[in-house]
Amino acid sequence: MENLKLEATERKIESKGNLKKLRLDGFLPGILYGDKETNLPLSVKKNSVKKLLESINFMSSVIEININGSKYKALPKDINFHPINNEPIHIDFQKIKPGTKVVVNIPVRFINNENCPGLKMGGVLNIVRRKIELKCPAENIPTEIIVDLTNKEMNESIHISSVKLPENVKPVISDRDFTIATIAAPTVVKEPEPATATTATDATTAGEATAEGSVDSTKATDPKTGAKPADSKAKSAEGGAKTSSPAADKKK
Amino acid sequence: MLQPARTKYRKAFKGKIHGIAHRGSTLNFGSFGLKAIEPNRVTSKEIEAARVALTRHMKRAGRVWLRIFPNIPVTKKPIEVRMGKGKGGLEYYVFRVKPGRIIFEIDGVEESVAKEAFELAKAKLSIKTQMVKRLGTL
Repeated sequence: MENLKLEATERKIESKGNLKKLRLDGFLPGILYGDKETNLPLSVKKNSVKKLLESINFMSSVIEININGSKYKALPKDINFHPINNEPIHIDFQKIKPGTKVVVNIPVRFINNENCPGLKMGGVLNIVRRKIELKCPAENIPTEIIVDLTNKEMNESIHISSVKLPENVKPVISDRDFTIATIAAPTVVKEPEPATATTATDATTAGEATAEGSVDSTKATDPKTGAKPADSKAKSAEGGAKTSSPAADKKK
Repeated sequence: MLQPARTKYRKAFKGKIHGIAHRGSTLNFGSFGLKAIEPNRVTSKEIEAARVALTRHMKRAGRVWLRIFPNIPVTKKPIEVRMGKGKGGLEYYVFRVKPGRIIFEIDGVEESVAKEAFELAKAKLSIKTQMVKRLGTL
């Protein structure tokens, strides 16, 4: 586990205007809490945080924060980004004390993709969980969870039980064997093919006619609700394409 | 094209788009996404055209998630009709997009393919958009 350092300065809780000025000056407001002590508002240089965000598993690394000479060991607990420009706007740190247990979201890394028969056959790695919530000792926080994809066939799922976790590290979800990823079968996008034989041409024109007919019928508005029935053409045209609604995925 | 199966009210007010998106502004499913950077009403036709452009460019690989759904009905009066005599008939459905909203997410393709696919898709939309990608492990 890497031990990173971050220089910070204490800040006063004043107005929103002060925070805005702080951000314009290139600093990131944050807070340090935990260990049953009073919360400590702080500010760090935004560029140093951005560098850490790009380079490492920032959210699962213990950071040594130096605030005006006093040092604290802390874990980045939360980071907020601006919705439009994706710049960090606030950061939370949680103090950690040796001997205690902490709940951390640890990122999952998939290895041996080239030795996976399912992916070689054209399957898609469908990641269900990019991070796993783990309960672990404060002095032994794993940086990442490695999942080996060797010998994983098509339509096979990788569950938490098949992953080797470090000692004294347990997943927070303990009542079920949850899925981390699946190797989903590929679906073919149907591109329109040029008709060669005359019979084939006839068949396709008939097909188009029926399709158009169905589209026309959908233009009628439902008198009760005002909503038009679902357009079947859109579904059939790109039927092979794997577009899915997030609601369906959340059920997993 | 996308439209609600049924609606509570047949016709809706035009409405205005205020502020920025605080919900639906982070990548939740895929590694790359297309983010709106200006507000507008995006029609179901535009969404469908962009989705088709994305899936065709990605061919067999990858996966697409659609993060918006057009649920606002828009009405229109017929041509050469005088003003008055009530609101026009139902024409199409839209989604009110606020700046910061993620419209599409994709995964399972290289960054270069994703970039090209989003370039094609963003040309189909009536708003300015930018591609975003997952930052490290966040």
